[in-house]
Formats: sequence, C-alpha cells, structure tokens
Amino acid sequence: MNTIEVKELRRIYKTNIGVIRRKTKEIVAVDGITFDVNRGELFGLLGPNGAGKTTMIKMLTTLLIPTSGTAKILGYDIVNQANPIRSRIGFIFGGERGLYWRLSGIDNLRYFASLYHVDPEVTMKRIPQLLELVGLSDRGDEKVEGYSRGMKQRLHIARTLLHDPEILFLDEPTMGLDPVGGREIRQVIRDLQSEKKTILLTTHYMFEADALCERVAVIDQGRIVALDTPEALKQVVSDLSVIEIEVFGVPEEVLDQIRNLPFVDTVSVEDLDQKQALRVHTAKGSEAIPLLLSALESVRVGKVTVREPTLEDAYVRLVGGKV
Amino acid sequence: MKPGMLKAYIHVIKLAYIFTLKQSMTDAFILFGIFVQPLLIAIMALFILGEQGDGVVIFIVVGSGLTGLWDSVLFQSGSSITRERWTGTLEVLVAMPTPLGVIVFGKNLAFVTQSLGSMIIAYTCASIIFGYPLSVESPSLFIVSIVLTVLSLVCMGLVLATLFVLNPDMQRWSNGLEFPVFILAGFLFPIAMLPQWTTPLSYILAPYWAAVALHMSSSGKPDILEISLPWAMMMLLGVLYLFLAFWLFRKMLFKARVDATLIGQ
Repeated sequence: MNTIEVKELRRIYKTNIGVIRRKTKEIVAVDGITFDVNRGELFGLLGPNGAGKTTMIKMLTTLLIPTSGTAKILGYDIVNQANPIRSRIGFIFGGERGLYWRLSGIDNLRYFASLYHVDPEVTMKRIPQLLELVGLSDRGDEKVEGYSRGMKQRLHIARTLLHDPEILFLDEPTMGLDPVGGREIRQVIRDLQSEKKTILLTTHYMFEADALCERVAVIDQGRIVALDTPEALKQVVSDLSVIEIEVFGVPEEVLDQIRNLPFVDTVSVEDLDQKQALRVHTAKGSEAIPLLLSALESVRVGKVTVREPTLEDAYVRLVGGKV
Repeated sequence: MKPGMLKAYIHVIKLAYIFTLKQSMTDAFILFGIFVQPLLIAIMALFILGEQGDGVVIFIVVGSGLTGLWDSVLFQSGSSITRERWTGTLEVLVAMPTPLGVIVFGKNLAFVTQSLGSMIIAYTCASIIFGYPLSVESPSLFIVSIVLTVLSLVCMGLVLATLFVLNPDMQRWSNGLEFPVFILAGFLFPIAMLPQWTTPLSYILAPYWAAVALHMSSSGKPDILEISLPWAMMMLLGVLYLFLAFWLFRKMLFKARVDATLIGQ
C-alpha cells in the first residue's frame, strides 16, 4: 500500500457571474490527476500559480471534497474517513493567516497541540524544541501580530510538527521568506525527510523542487504533464542549451519573431525589477547568439550567457507542450 | 468514543475557553455589548422604574444583565465560526482531529461566562450609584439557575453559529434578533403583557426560562418544585439544542468542503 494514492482526481469550482442574468461558470482546477507517493518519499508538485497545486493539497488534507475520483492516505479515503487521516498528517498552507494574532507564539502552539490531542506534558517539552528548530526561541512569548511574515511561516512549521505526524503536506513552505530563511526551511525539510517522514511539497520554485524532491510531478492547468525524478525530467531538455539574454523592455512582436525562428525550441521571459531575462532554448548552442542579437536589434541588451538546462527549463518545455 | 478522548476534549474546551477570553478582552465592540450597553439599559430602567421598590430594582438588575448575556450569545457565539473563517483559522481547525463543535463549545462557554460581567455591572450600578440595598433572596437557587443559564445558552450559541454559516443572510440580520428576544424572553417585563400568540415562541427559547429562574430566585423564595420547571426546561432545551447543533455541524462542514467555503472571501 502506498502512503498516498490518487486516482483520477478531479475538482471543479462553480462560480456565478453577472448581476441580473446570473450564469454559472465552471472552472476545472484539477483535471483527472493520478499519482502515488511511497512511504518516506519527498514528492514535489511543481507548477505555476493557478496550476491546481493548492487545490490538490486541500483535497488530500480532507478540506475539499473532489468532484470525482478517489484518493487514499494510509489506506483511508479522503472523503469518508477524514478523521483517521487528520490525526496522522501535518500541513502548511503558507501565508500569514491560520494563526491567532492576539496570542503569543507559545500560546498558539499550546492550543494547536491540544487540538491534536498531544499530552500536555509532552507539549510543554516539545514546544521549546520546535521553537528552537524554527529559530523562534526568543520570540515565543510575543504576540503573533508582531511577527514578520517569515516568522509566521516558521511558526506554521512548528505547528505542523507538534504531533509528530507521519505525513507532511507543505504548500509553498518557503513563500515570502528571504533567501536565508528559505535555505533554513529547506534544511529543516531535508532533516524531516531523513527521519523517514513522507512529504508532499508544492512549489513554483524550480530550484527548490530540484534541490529537495526525489520525484516531481509537473502540473499545468490541472493536469500532470510529466512525472519523474528531477534528473530524468532534465533529460527532456538535455539536447538543448539555454541562452540567457538580459534585455530592457522587449516588445511582444519581437518575442514572437524570436519564437518563430527555426532553431528556437522555446522562449520564456522573466521580469527582474528594471530588466528582463530572456531565455531561449536551442539545440544550436552559442552559434545562435548572433542570430538572436540580430532579432533584438531594436532592443537594449545587456549580458548574454550560455548554460546547461535546469529543471526550470524542462518545465518551460513541458508546459509548452513539446514533451 | 475512544478511551482518553473525553479527557482530551475537556482539555481542548479548557484551552479554547482560556484563549478566547484572552483574545476577546481587547475587543471594543464586544466590551460595549457586554458591559456598556447593559449598564445604559440598567440606568434607564432604574430611572423609570426604580421608585417602585427594591423588588423591581433587583428585577431590573437581573433583566439588564440578561440582555448582556443574550448579546454575547447572538454576536459572539453566533459569529464564532464565521470569525474563524475571516481570520483564516477555520481551515486549520477543520483539518484537526478534534471535532469543530468541541472547539466552538469552549469558545461559547468563554463568551457566555464573560458576559456574566454585565449582571455584575448592573448590580454595581444599582447598589453603588443609585444606592439601592440589594440582595438575592435565594442565593443557592440563584447560583444553580446561573449555571443552567450558562449551559443552555452555550448550547443555543452552537445552533446559532452553524445557522449563521449555513445562511449568511441570517447573520446579516442578527441585529434584528436582539430586541425581539429581550421582549419574548421577558427580560425587563413579564411576557403576560404580550399578545397570547407569542407565548409558544417564548417557551422554546432558553433565555425565557433562564429569565424565569433567575427572576424567581433573585426576587423571591420559591420552593424546589416551583423552580424545577424552568430548570428542567433549560436542561431539556439545552439537550435539544445539542442534538440540533450536532446535525447542523455535520451538514455545515460537508457543505463547506463541497463548496470550498472554509476560507473567508
């Protein structure tokens, strides 16, 4: 029996639009997803915002009922056997909500520990250990309303571990954290994995999935477009090089022109403050540079680099449809 | 229920009680409804009716205290679940192995016992500011009546909390439920002054029987048989409210999981 078994899970949201003549619109958030997670595995769900990752996690943590399909956690059905699941899992949904701002960090943990039926004596020993683990030892007595976003996220992580669960669902656990904080949390996750906990992690940070996960499911528009180890996923783009060009305001028609070049596989653009990073995947390698710069004649260009593809590049190719 | 689970639930109720009190003591709206408004009602009623004697004065003190209790049930207990949704904590609570009803019971217990302060405020107003020498005629019967009042109102609050989630329009109109219950429950004047057709409505309200028991034990020396009717009605209604709340909680939570409404909009 796998720890997590998901079969053809589907979730449709219905929303009403219009004021006088109201219509019901259906949004398919998760569209027939199937996967399994083995005991002790760190499994990633990778995808952009709106791909269906959070909806998937909320179904698996028994907060949403699927429209169709089935899922089991440790053999228990997520719809009809929610209670046995809830005592065996921990979860983080990210963000600043989900804590009592007028209570201190310690009071929040005491309260949640009681809801998990952790013995009060065990709670009083465990809370200082967890605060130490997440770096909040000297801030535990302060009200949560005075915490930074990163501190609230750390407190969420401490909350998740109060009852020492077998399975952890982490929805964007490093969202909103600075690079140092993010690195610390990723180390905590690695430590938890070494304790043989089963972890399902969602992220839109490709480097995070690459660094942490044993297997990754790439999700786009509610469907899994690929599922494999990070190394195997990178093979999807192993024949390509990635040319990164720093540009300052590239018009859409220029991008279309580049996309239509015969030697270009995929193109992605990332906004970075005052500039953009234009990434072109091509089998031509550095030979393509003069041709690309010619297409970018009317645009101000900065640094140009060539590198090996990463998981992010594999992701771009996969959701571009060229698997 | 598994062995040890009752002990765990009692611990949850205890902590929900303590932490709810900690949080609500800084909420100005709550403090107004529990302490300021009953004080204003007591002052007005004492000015109007105070000269009719000490018996009427204790009636006013208990009655205005009861208005604070009802306000607490309506506005605090009634919105205990929707408030969790607004703060983003409802999802976290539902995903816990402790039933949500147990958690809300602890919260409601805090709200209702906190609002007993309104009775103390009204008593202080009458005895110190207005100088009426007040005493409760049957203190032990009064204490039992207070305990049963608290428990029955906590159970009623569980029903309101779920109804306000299942039907948000009802919560929007909750202001309209404040004074009708003051009147139907006979807080400040006997229901005999109302049209007869309203009497059955009074009888299904725990606040009415609470008012009867508290007025009886504060203004007079009823025998046990006399006061056992309002006590029995509070216990019966409390149990009925609990069964209704159990059913409503299941319905509400299933609907919220289907409609994805555990998060506030």
